[in-house]
Order: sequence, then structure tokens, then C-alpha cells
Amino acid sequence: MNTYIQFAAIKFRNNMAYRFEYLMGILNTVLNFIVYCCIYKALYGGANEVDGITFSMVTTNFIISLGLTNAFSKNEMFLQDKIKQGTIANELLKPVNFKFRMLFEDMGDGLFKVIFNFIPAVLIAMVFTQIQPPAGILNFTLCLVSAVLGYIVLWYISFIVQTWSFWLFSVWGIVTIKNVIINICSGALLPLWFMPEPIMNIIRFTPFDSIFFTPVQLYLGNLQGCEILFNFARQLLWIVILYFAGEFFWRRGIKKLVVQGG
Amino acid sequence: MKDILSLFFAYAKSGLKTRFQYKLDAIVTTFAVFLREAAGIIAMYLALLKFDTINNWNINELMFLFSLIFITYGIFIVFFMALRDFSDWIKHGDIDRVMLRPRGILTQLVMCGADWLAALGHGTLGIVLFIISANSVGIEWNAVTIIYYIVTIASGVLIQGAVFLFFSAISIYFIETRSLKEIMYWNLRRFAGYPISIYNKLIQTLLIFVVPFAFVNYFPAQFLLRKPDMAAYPEWFMYISPFVGIVLYVIAYAFWKFSMRFYKSTGN
Repeated sequence: MNTYIQFAAIKFRNNMAYRFEYLMGILNTVLNFIVYCCIYKALYGGANEVDGITFSMVTTNFIISLGLTNAFSKNEMFLQDKIKQGTIANELLKPVNFKFRMLFEDMGDGLFKVIFNFIPAVLIAMVFTQIQPPAGILNFTLCLVSAVLGYIVLWYISFIVQTWSFWLFSVWGIVTIKNVIINICSGALLPLWFMPEPIMNIIRFTPFDSIFFTPVQLYLGNLQGCEILFNFARQLLWIVILYFAGEFFWRRGIKKLVVQGG
Repeated sequence: MKDILSLFFAYAKSGLKTRFQYKLDAIVTTFAVFLREAAGIIAMYLALLKFDTINNWNINELMFLFSLIFITYGIFIVFFMALRDFSDWIKHGDIDRVMLRPRGILTQLVMCGADWLAALGHGTLGIVLFIISANSVGIEWNAVTIIYYIVTIASGVLIQGAVFLFFSAISIYFIETRSLKEIMYWNLRRFAGYPISIYNKLIQTLLIFVVPFAFVNYFPAQFLLRKPDMAAYPEWFMYISPFVGIVLYVIAYAFWKFSMRFYKSTGN
């Protein structure tokens, strides 16, 4: 375990070198946030609430999902590059689990971005518009826990798509398409309260709404008692399913792998 | 002129061949670009099922507004890809090679290569949005509006070309300009898809006077659609897109010419 934490720590420190990059990252998040705020302000057209959803709930939804999107963004071409360059051969020889190493490196990245990107972006955004405080300490803690689970769901979806680079010439297209689907279905582009019912009924059977929307709902205190347990159970269930799917593709891929040259 | 055109076609042919070497991958990539750009509009479409209009613009009018951005970008990227990636050219020393050839530097850059997959992805999206919206937003298509529309597209390409000419001139001094482009072009473009009247004064000023995206889509669309929120801006803004494009391009060209004198190769 210690080894993997070291991987995460190295990634975390690496990020410190690119200060300008993370300043730009913050600016990017804030600008995106402003666009959505302006759009929804115009959509609300002065109304206080639509369907019981207040404007500040919408802005809170956006800042949390945009912040997490930014914090969770990672190099999704990692595996493909390793395979293309053939360096994956050396990686596999090392006495560490390659997959966990990837996960921990990405978590190191993610932690850095949460601290130096997400939190500053939230603070800046609070100057522009009203953001709701968490419904309570307990809700905030639950939100943090479910954000971590949401991250793992997101990571595994990305991992599965990345393993397809064992078979495909390039996964860039599929990664991009996957991200579009996640952005729309997870509530990052459109708060899921406003998603038309028929589409929402489909989304309920996918892992997408457990990425950002569950943490948002917990943060706002929209879930009670059993619903909280149900949502956590769903997140865990998806992690288990995605874990096995990932494992399936990974094993098949490794078996198929042929590295030419060194 | 004839030989410049033949240069363009020669480059285009080899460029397309390279890109479509792996056919399935090229198609998936093009579709991915299409979908990535469409995501915002899909979200907007779904949101407007609930809200009906945004500042009195309905979904068709909004799609018309978006289509101008994507069509102009699709054409723009056929000619100006080298300027978009100019800092890479400098970093890798590719400019030295271009300088040695018996044609103008900018001519070669403009003719030499297009990001065909991006052009197809953005262009197709623009055309699809145009087809969906063109007949349902109350525009009467006659000689005047059709000519106005064509001039608008040309101006939009020119404006964005000028903006990137500026960026490439700046990268002669600073070499890496990725963040500048990210903020001043890509982020502002995301703003520009929507009616600019929904934004505060600062963003509006940026879109009208600094990186004039408003003249690529908002003001021309206003000429054709006549939405009430135009009242906040001077009437003649609807007619000056071509002049904005030409003036901006001439200034950018002069600045670029001037900056090229300071060009220093980054190495071997």
C-alpha cells in the first residue's frame, strides 16, 4: 500500500512544478461556471424557482460538478501511449500492480487539483453568485464520501475505455464520445432535475448519475434516510460491476499484447 | 495565383490521404469532434424543453446562432490550421524550412494544411444546425439575405483568421501561447454561442471589441432574425462585420510582418 501512496505523492509533487498551468485551470473552471450562470440566469428570467428548484441550487450543482470534472480530469491516453511506445513491457515487469499504480497516480493528480484548483475556483465563484452552503455537517461529510465513490466510478469507466487501446488504433475518438455522454448524463452540462423524464428513466439504470449528481444531492440535503443508503449502495454496486468489467478487458488485453521491439 | 491554388490542392490531397489512412479511426474521430461540439447544444435543447426560451430566443434561433460559429470555424480551419499551431511550428523549427522555399511564408502557411477531421466535424455540425433551423426562424431567403449570409460567413472566417494571426505573431516573441489561446479564443467562443445579451457588460465588451466574436454570429444573426434584445446595441453593428474582418486582418498582418523580423530560430 505504501508503494502506491508514494506514486500518488510523486504525482502530487510533479504538479507543483506547473504553477501557471493550474492558474489557467482555475480561470477555466471559473469562466465555464460564469457561462452556465449567465445561461441559467437568462433561462430563469427573474423567477425564483422552477419546479421547486431554486437558482442557487442550479449554481451549486454547476460549481460542484464543474469543479469535480476539472479535478477528475486526467490523461486518458496514458495506456495507449504506453502501448504505442512499447514501454508497457517494462511497466509490467515491475513488481507493482499496474492498474493500481495508474489509479493512485491519478488520485494524486486529482487530490492536487481538488486542493489547488477546485477550492480556489469555488472561492472565486462565491464572489460572483450565491452558492448554497451544505445542508449540514453530516450532509457535507456524506457528500465528500460519495464524491470519492463517484470518482472511482468515473475512473473505472475511463479505465475500461482505455483498455480498448489493446485492440484499437486510437481510442481518442471513443474517449471523447464517452466524455460527451458522461457530461450530459451526469448533470455536468444540464442539472438532472431538468432532464426530461423519459431520458432520466434511462439514466437511472446507468452509472452516470452517481458520479456528480449523488454528491450534489447529498450536499444540498435533498436525500433522506433510506434514499441516502440506496444511493450509496448504487455507487458501490457500480464500482463492483465496473471493477469486474475492467478486469475482464485488462486480462484479455494483456494476453493479446504484442510489443514490437524495445 | 494559379500555382498557389495548385499548391493548396496538392497539400489537400496528401493531407486527406494521410488522415484517412485509417478510415474507421478517421470516421470515429470526426464523429467525436462533431459530438463534442454538439454537447452544449444538446444540453441546451433539453433545457429549453423545460424553459422554452432564453432571452426570447427559442431553440431554432439558438441553433441558427450556433451554426454560424461552427460553419465559419469549419472553413477557417481549412486555411488557418498552421496559424492555430504556429507555436509548435516555431518550437520544432519548421518555420526555417518554410522560409527557404520560394513562396511567401504566410501563403505557404495558409495553403499548407488543414485539420480535415476538425473541419469535417465542426463544418458538418454547422451545416446540420443550419439545415434544421434555416427555415423555421422566419428568415425570408431572397437575393439580399443570401448575399448577406455569404458575406457573413466570409467575414467570420476572416475575423477568426485575424485573431489567430495575432496569436501567431505573439508566439514569435513568447513561443508558447497555449494558455492565451485557451482563454482568449476557446473560452470566449464558448460564450459566443449564446445571445451575448445574457452576459454582463465585461463579457459583452470582450466579445464585441476585443475578440469580436459578436460580429461572427450575434450581430449578423440579428440582421436576419431581428430579436428585441438588439435594441441594446447600435443598429449599424449589424452591417459592419466585413469591415471588422478586413480591418482586423490588415492590422494583424502588419503586426505579423513586423514581428517576423524578430523571428529567431529555436534551434536545429
